[in-house]
Amino acid sequence: MSNHIVESLKKEIENFTVAVKAEKVGRAIEVFDGIAKVSGLSDIKSSEMVTFQNGEIGVALNLEEDTVGVIILGDFSKIKEGDEVKATGKILEIPVGDSIIGRVVNPLGAPLDGKGAIKTEKTYPIERVAPGVVTRQSVDQPVATGIKAIDVIIPVGRGQRELIIGDRQTGKTALAIDAILNQKGQNMICVYVSIGQKDSKLRKIEARLEEGGAMAYTVIVSAGASEPAALSYIAPYSGVSIAEYFMDQGKDVLIIYDDLSKHAVAYREISLLLRRPPGREAYPGDVFYLHSRLLERACRRNEKYGGGSITAFPIIETQAGDISAYIPTNVISITDGQIFLETDLFYKGIRPAVNVGSSVSRVGSSAQIKAMKKVAGTLKLDLAQYRELEAFSQFGSDLDESTKKQLERGKRSVEVLKQLQYAPVKTEHQVVLFYALTKGFMDDVPVEKIKEFEKGLIDYSERNAKTFYKEVKESKMWTDKGEEELKKVIADFRKSFN
Amino acid sequence: MANISNKDIATAIYEASHGKAGHDLSVYSKAVVEFLNKKRLISKSKDIVDTLEKIVNKEEGIVTVKVSSATKLATETKHNLAHELKHRYKARDIVWQEIVDENLLGGMRIEVNDEVIDLTLKNKVNLLKAHLTKSV
Repeated sequence: MSNHIVESLKKEIENFTVAVKAEKVGRAIEVFDGIAKVSGLSDIKSSEMVTFQNGEIGVALNLEEDTVGVIILGDFSKIKEGDEVKATGKILEIPVGDSIIGRVVNPLGAPLDGKGAIKTEKTYPIERVAPGVVTRQSVDQPVATGIKAIDVIIPVGRGQRELIIGDRQTGKTALAIDAILNQKGQNMICVYVSIGQKDSKLRKIEARLEEGGAMAYTVIVSAGASEPAALSYIAPYSGVSIAEYFMDQGKDVLIIYDDLSKHAVAYREISLLLRRPPGREAYPGDVFYLHSRLLERACRRNEKYGGGSITAFPIIETQAGDISAYIPTNVISITDGQIFLETDLFYKGIRPAVNVGSSVSRVGSSAQIKAMKKVAGTLKLDLAQYRELEAFSQFGSDLDESTKKQLERGKRSVEVLKQLQYAPVKTEHQVVLFYALTKGFMDDVPVEKIKEFEKGLIDYSERNAKTFYKEVKESKMWTDKGEEELKKVIADFRKSFN
Repeated sequence: MANISNKDIATAIYEASHGKAGHDLSVYSKAVVEFLNKKRLISKSKDIVDTLEKIVNKEEGIVTVKVSSATKLATETKHNLAHELKHRYKARDIVWQEIVDENLLGGMRIEVNDEVIDLTLKNKVNLLKAHLTKSV
């Protein structure tokens, strides 16, 4: 055994060669708050990686006349004035590979889960230009999130960027985690990027994903709240580079940025320390580009360029519901739609607290399977009308029959859209439920019994509507035969349900 | 108004000194110091002088080479090195700064402006250390 070690060491030493090369070297002249001002480094490029004497990595962001402003990606307390700083000639890159699946890594690809180094040879630069127009294809494949309110009313397609926005404690992360949990068996790799979150929260999320078997297809990239702002700044770019690696292999990837408000705050901190001029809300002038270049990397590639897609769910936290603040408006304009979560709805017991009136998906029904399209129909409009009528109905009781009917239907729709956390609903079950709802089978079921009805209907239909399930599951088709069967099964179940 | 950098000041001092020698130069130097004092730039004078030195060296084709080695360099090595460096940096003259540091173990380290060619044994051992720990 010991012989083997000596032999392998000898071999390693024999194979080791040092190339003679001239390196560009600078000296740290100022080090403060995760920033270093470095003299020298005359030919350095913007975003180039540099290494400090103690092994820490930095990225050159400000190229000034005499100095270079570098953000330090790691512990800056051990870097001293006068330390040597070497240019590497490379843009910052992270290790990527299939072995990264199931791991928790920091934005530099270093493991945080205590499972040892990521064994891979391949690296991807964290900054890349988004795929061009000719390589793209329109979004027409659904991402089944398992959340009824989203899949039916605000459908998300593979390659889409859908913003999740809401105040604190409205269930933004829960929604994203549910979406990840539902990707089991959906041929999707998930990347969860945690930016400036508490380590306890991350641990909880990891445990939940592990419990749901989701870590088998998920990568977590984390820049914790106690890490320097520079790591939070690069975290989403690292995450999307990992996603691009899988997309380049023709796979579909779902990436969650939790959250971009903290990312913008981290970038603001760095920019102010680098003495870049502050703009609105003290954010630097390029804060729009910060997010647009990130989200533009989410796309669906056409077959000629290997297929594959990156679907992005950026999360934005608003303050007291103010969506007209700088960062929310920026990200709303960049993304292909948004899911609004409201505190009022949350406390009313409507969970997920999705405000279906203000939420949109610009891709729309083209990202829905035919069966879903058929049942979703005018549900969004009906719900909007219900909300309006609900407001009016509070002023008087003299309502005509059709209005009363609409109100009753609305109440049931809201009830059906409610869903427990970590309980994603399969697409085919959603089709059954919304068919029963829109065809009026639930109209005479008491509202408080809707949940019971739902559960019973799913069990009953699974046993009795086999043709319908086969069609929807396998060929995603909606035929008259299947519909007839479903209708009959629902009617039978309604008769037996009390 | 945009900030005037040390480099701007040093360039101005260098350009204005053209064709001045002897008494003229000494009068000029005194005027420069007075100007720096008046504009409250005396505290920056060290940086300005350093920058001025770099500008003068660049203009006159002088290259400052800092060579660190474990033992004193042999004349022949120095001669060969001077030849190579003059060619590499298109220099007319070389100013040597020699440092003997036993910690380097062997070889030499050449520093020209912000470029470093590290051929010391200490650097090789460090690289080997990084290589071996990376392979594990």
